[in-house]
Amino acid sequence: MIRTFFYLVAGLLLGLVIHLVVILTLPSLASNNVATKLSALGQVNRTVVLDDVARGADNPLRLDPEVAYAVCRLDLTNAPGELAGTLPLAYWSVAVYDRSGTVLYSATNRDGIGQTLDIGVFDPAQTRLLAEQKIDVAEGLLIVESRGDEVYVVVRLAPAHQVMRERYKEQLAKLGCRNIKL
Amino acid sequence: MRFLLNLVLMLTVALALGFGLSWYALTDGRLFGAAQIGPWTAWTRAGSPNPDPYTRAYLARNGALQLGQSEGVQFFATNDSDGAPLNRTCRYRIDGLTPTATFWTLVPTTPDGAAIAKSDGPAGFESNRISRAGDGSIQLYIGKSLSPLNWLEIGGDGPFWLVLTLYDTTVFSGAGTDKDTMPSIITEGC
Repeated sequence: MIRTFFYLVAGLLLGLVIHLVVILTLPSLASNNVATKLSALGQVNRTVVLDDVARGADNPLRLDPEVAYAVCRLDLTNAPGELAGTLPLAYWSVAVYDRSGTVLYSATNRDGIGQTLDIGVFDPAQTRLLAEQKIDVAEGLLIVESRGDEVYVVVRLAPAHQVMRERYKEQLAKLGCRNIKL
Repeated sequence: MRFLLNLVLMLTVALALGFGLSWYALTDGRLFGAAQIGPWTAWTRAGSPNPDPYTRAYLARNGALQLGQSEGVQFFATNDSDGAPLNRTCRYRIDGLTPTATFWTLVPTTPDGAAIAKSDGPAGFESNRISRAGDGSIQLYIGKSLSPLNWLEIGGDGPFWLVLTLYDTTVFSGAGTDKDTMPSIITEGC
């Protein structure tokens, strides 16, 4: 009986180990993460306005149907990237995601950046060169440091009324998504 | 023989506990990183640059485009305030105050995230486009039968979720937090 009890305790301990292994390895094993879904949208260095969420249709990214989205995929291997442009006078926000879907940086236009969006993303080596003043960037560029070279910048824009939606999406499509020339 | 039985018992307990606890942690999550306020659940660190391991695993499993910490917080409800699962055959009233936010949206979806409102109207409620009581509280109706005030007609059958997204909100900010101010979900009839 006591031996069975020890096996039971060993089972509980092994179960906790399995649990920890599942939790810690899931992020690196998951094929369903945000980056996989966003990378399927299109090429690098181009602003992609996401389609509206149709009623009853799949919504794998779980987008808010009331909000318009633009995605800019940047490859920082050879140069830092930027997303720049002017947005309508409405609520908008910007978030920078890494490969794992972790939000590296986010801000809204209530943080005082008004209608102009000008965000630069630098990897650690480029940030170091920037600190050493070996890279020149435009004044006012909002600098975000990324841990890796593959990043996704997502802009959310909330039209006050749905009739404005198409016009706002056109404005989102005009955002410049590119590498910064060194 | 006894050794084999003990071994089978040990492995059964280990597998059930290991995978069962992981499944629970990443779905309900209340004990592991998700905050529960009444029927509403939110993964408060989902938009953080350094999420904890449970939140990181949740993000990988969920695959959703999470809001950043500065952008807002998303809550979801799978049950009403009495704990009964939300079902499209019933009519629900969402009643009360919401935390301070620039604006919020409330969208009924399938568990997979597909919007279930009828296609000839809005997909959900938007805080700037609803009528409110004098004290700022809301009364929203969701269901198939015609309802007063703010009504969103839904279609189909089966379970559904309510997704409440607060944009630019002070909830969970710590200072002057109003996280206890969340609306109730009341079943009015099925």
